[in-house]
Amino acid sequence: MKIKIILANVAAMAFAAAGLWFTAGSQAVAHHAFSAEFDPNRPVLLRGPIVRVEWVNPHTWIHLEVTNDDGSTTVWMVEGGTPNTLLRRGLSRDTILPGTYIVVDGYQSKDRSARANGRDITFEDGRKFFMGSSGTGAPYDNDASRN
Amino acid sequence: MKNSFKTLCIGVLAFAGLVLAPLTLAQSGEIPRTRDGKPDFSGTYDVSTLTPFQRPSEFGNRLILTNDEAFAIANADAERKETNQQGSDPNRSAPPQGGDGSTGAAGNVGGYNTFWIDNGTDVVRIDGEFRSSIITDPLNGRLPPVTDEVRNAARVALGAGEAPRREGGANDGTAYWLDAGLDAPGPYDNPENRPFAERCILSFGSTAGPPMLPALYNNHKRIVQTEDTVLINVEMVHEARIVRMNAEHDPAPIKKWLGDSIGWWEGDTLVVETTNFRDTPAFSRGSENMKVTEYFRYENPDKIIYSFTVEDPTVWEAPFSGEYSWPRTDNKVFEYACHEANYALEGILKGARVMEMEYRGEDPGGVPNPTR
Repeated sequence: MKIKIILANVAAMAFAAAGLWFTAGSQAVAHHAFSAEFDPNRPVLLRGPIVRVEWVNPHTWIHLEVTNDDGSTTVWMVEGGTPNTLLRRGLSRDTILPGTYIVVDGYQSKDRSARANGRDITFEDGRKFFMGSSGTGAPYDNDASRN
Repeated sequence: MKNSFKTLCIGVLAFAGLVLAPLTLAQSGEIPRTRDGKPDFSGTYDVSTLTPFQRPSEFGNRLILTNDEAFAIANADAERKETNQQGSDPNRSAPPQGGDGSTGAAGNVGGYNTFWIDNGTDVVRIDGEFRSSIITDPLNGRLPPVTDEVRNAARVALGAGEAPRREGGANDGTAYWLDAGLDAPGPYDNPENRPFAERCILSFGSTAGPPMLPALYNNHKRIVQTEDTVLINVEMVHEARIVRMNAEHDPAPIKKWLGDSIGWWEGDTLVVETTNFRDTPAFSRGSENMKVTEYFRYENPDKIIYSFTVEDPTVWEAPFSGEYSWPRTDNKVFEYACHEANYALEGILKGARVMEMEYRGEDPGGVPNPTR
């Protein structure tokens, strides 16, 4: 997900360079900067069955059980987006069945707990975990009513 | 029996009237009105749009897009989303060591899949014309320059290496702020250092504003209107803006997170004026001196046109104005109990402590990374 930041002027660029949050772009922004939470030096690739889903705001957390090299298991929790978006498309917590095997790539949290961002969550065969868009996916599918 | 039948008939007719009246209104193009004849904006609106707040430079001073340009933008967005929905390599490896180079809020670690996003499918269209930006004034559709004072303050803060208020972090996985000394203040020292959104206090970006702007998701607003009060319920992040009609502003020392909003009617337009902001309003870099005037009018029974003007001479060299459409929706505003599971804030602060330990050569421990 790229957040587009359009800068207004040189001063604004100075602010942006300093990391001062600047709501100047198009539709911004997430609840928090993932950069603040996850460690770029600790990439992870997690595989395993879902054991729990926290269908909560501001972010959904999907828990999966990962088998370690020594045969022990660790339950990792993976951060996704707001459940409200999926709820509007008819998906609920119950859509996500425990036991479903998923593959997740992301980065481990900076606090070194068993947490990661769900940079890409897919089924075992690579299909995206959820499909669909806010409409049918066709441009201007809401043209008559929305415009 | 006769009376019962008569009552039933009246009941059925009354019910049919209740159900059909709005349909008839909509079909005839008449806007809904309250008993006292004012436009009735009560209802729910989905304000998501592909039109950016500030105009992309390629359009220069041109506010109006051609139909072809508007369709091209919508098509490109639809194609991008479609591409993002394609499957991934099931045998993929972990993302790159050192970060994936992503920018913005996803800084160097990526965000999450597109299916979590709901930023609309359409370009803003007002009175039949497609728009290239929400900002309409200045002519270039961009925020006016900030004042010398703001510019200089930014330079001074930069020069002093000060931790910026809304810093997302130079995400290199180290406690870089300790480069200035082991006791140097950092952007993660306490919750008050963190942005309002991260703390679930105030709208993300400027969803509640004012001015109220679209975001990447949860773009629903609900208006409840009475003669003396207009309430605007903002899904993200659970704000209820309360506009007192035909009232005076609170005394200046009373500051509010969303400012103090009063409203009045100018013909069929609802005007809302907001002052009395705290020193850090939700919108951009506005200050406590900001004044926002908003205008709500119907273009047709299914669409509000929302306009605003922002004045803050201590921040921007000139006022600026914007405008976009709020289409009515059958959808609902959902609960957004942001505090409910705000694990991120805890993780961010705890993560900073772990990195500080590492900076000092201590072993922070933690869960082994199965990929390393």
